[in-house]
Amino acid sequence: MTEEEMAKKAVEALDIVPGGDTRRRPVHTNGVGVEGHFVASEAARDYCVAEHFQGGKIKVTARFSNGSGKTALHDGWSDVRGLAVRFHLEQDKQEERAVDLLAMTLTEFFTPTYETFLKFASYTNPEAPVTRQSAWRKLLELLELIQPALPAPYPGQTTSSVAGALRYADEHARSELSIFHAAAIGAPKSYARAAYHAVHTFFAVAPDGTRRAVRFNWVPVSGVLNTGPEDPVVDDYLKSDLQLRIKGKLGIGTDPEPVRFILMMTIGETGDDFDDPSRSWPPHRTRIVMGTLTIDAVASDQDADGERLSFNPWRLVEGLEPSNDPILSLRRNAYEFSRKRRGGVAGCPFSGV
Amino acid sequence: MAGESGFDTFVDDLPRKWWFKLLANWIVIPFWAWLRPTPPLPGGPRPTPQPSENVQRMMNLVMPLKDKSPLGRAYAAMAVAQNVNEIFAGLDNVGTVHFARFVVIGDNLCMISVYDGDFTNYIRDFIATVGSVFDAIMDLVEGGEAVKPCETKIDAFIDWIHAHDLFQAPDLPTDLFRLQDAARGVERKREPGLLRSLSREYILQLNANPNFSLGGGYRAYPGFSVAQVRQKLGVGW
Repeated sequence: MTEEEMAKKAVEALDIVPGGDTRRRPVHTNGVGVEGHFVASEAARDYCVAEHFQGGKIKVTARFSNGSGKTALHDGWSDVRGLAVRFHLEQDKQEERAVDLLAMTLTEFFTPTYETFLKFASYTNPEAPVTRQSAWRKLLELLELIQPALPAPYPGQTTSSVAGALRYADEHARSELSIFHAAAIGAPKSYARAAYHAVHTFFAVAPDGTRRAVRFNWVPVSGVLNTGPEDPVVDDYLKSDLQLRIKGKLGIGTDPEPVRFILMMTIGETGDDFDDPSRSWPPHRTRIVMGTLTIDAVASDQDADGERLSFNPWRLVEGLEPSNDPILSLRRNAYEFSRKRRGGVAGCPFSGV
Repeated sequence: MAGESGFDTFVDDLPRKWWFKLLANWIVIPFWAWLRPTPPLPGGPRPTPQPSENVQRMMNLVMPLKDKSPLGRAYAAMAVAQNVNEIFAGLDNVGTVHFARFVVIGDNLCMISVYDGDFTNYIRDFIATVGSVFDAIMDLVEGGEAVKPCETKIDAFIDWIHAHDLFQAPDLPTDLFRLQDAARGVERKREPGLLRSLSREYILQLNANPNFSLGGGYRAYPGFSVAQVRQKLGVGW
């Protein structure tokens, strides 16, 4: 099977989500396109020669998203969130040059390989009808000191992938961690108040030629905050929250509440699995502050500057190289297949489109 | 919530009811502890070959006082206070300690420290540099007399310190399955409900091990040793 066929199969494995639409992204279907800028730290250039880490103000377009593949918007439901960032570099002749960094609120991916991803997708799709757990069952779980098999459904929720994901975790030790984290992930108060992790390993090349295995993550300057268990579940608030923050209608005083993230780069070391995105690295690895992302505006044309944009983790420049992570390899063509299917723009630089 | 019966609400509220907590603490948890015997997991950081895991390691030494009265706590405070110079000079000589402090928490004298390198070597360095202070402390804590003088009972003293260093929960929560299974000498069957039983595994470990460090802790500049930091800052060593 060719890599393109594998990518097609992987995308189609996600299509069975009730309420999904193949004319849109198969996951992370709802999102908000934004604009901003990135300024590299003083330290960044010592660790990576990539252009956007050399200092100066780099224009950025980005898209925050909810992980679900449903077209209906449910901001307040527990879900993984995404932050895809495109760093626009100076144009070289007529060619648009950019780097994409794709991240999500989960600290690791669900599976380590293509095969396990398809199997995981078969457990979670199609989603199972949600059923209310009986009180007797809940009582038994309390006495067994175990977590509830199923969370209480949200108003209007008819299907869920939770039971399938838990069943998969029970059978596959390598996915325990991600599914444990996903089950408890909750809903952020704001896209600006979540930490986003680019779960794949890349190699950063330093000016002296040193090649380091690294992973990136965005840390919100405003801090991480989820909605509380007693808060009302609201379907549509994350976009307006961003607009209000940027306009200065949220936060202290009348100053705009900046939507800012610090880009951290964690350096892996011998013994870390560079090719397995389902295993996060322990928090004791050396971390480098690479720069600050500031979101200045919510894009006025959400279709052009959000929905039709196609990010790709393989959009890299000299100084940043991909690892041999099989899921990262899969994403290269999967994102391109998905883009073509929904008529997106900005093709993958490797596709010849 | 729509569709919920009164019995649903009653069950949902149970974890907040005092009498249910009493029932859980006195009957449910002891029952599970009997059904799934769970040894207390050893304290301190776990051995690892990875460089960044071998610097800035946490020690949370909890030493129960023999005399749990205010006077007993005062004696413990005095044993430390009278030897501050010796402790500080000793720590300078050890050379691998980022931070260290003694605190009295309830009926315990605790030493909280962050050090580089192997645990056994760290304690051996301590014996060499502040052994007499620890001998004074050992007089005041439960089981301490058996391991003094620490200069001659080195291995027993190291074992005692290790046993009183808090168990550090894994930074990746599901790793507790592996740690506990290894301690029990069993291989877990992959069966329905396994992941959801992680909460029970933590409860059973907390039952066996009432003092517990929640992970290995945060580090502002992970991966660097005392020597590297001092050299970079130009403050000598």
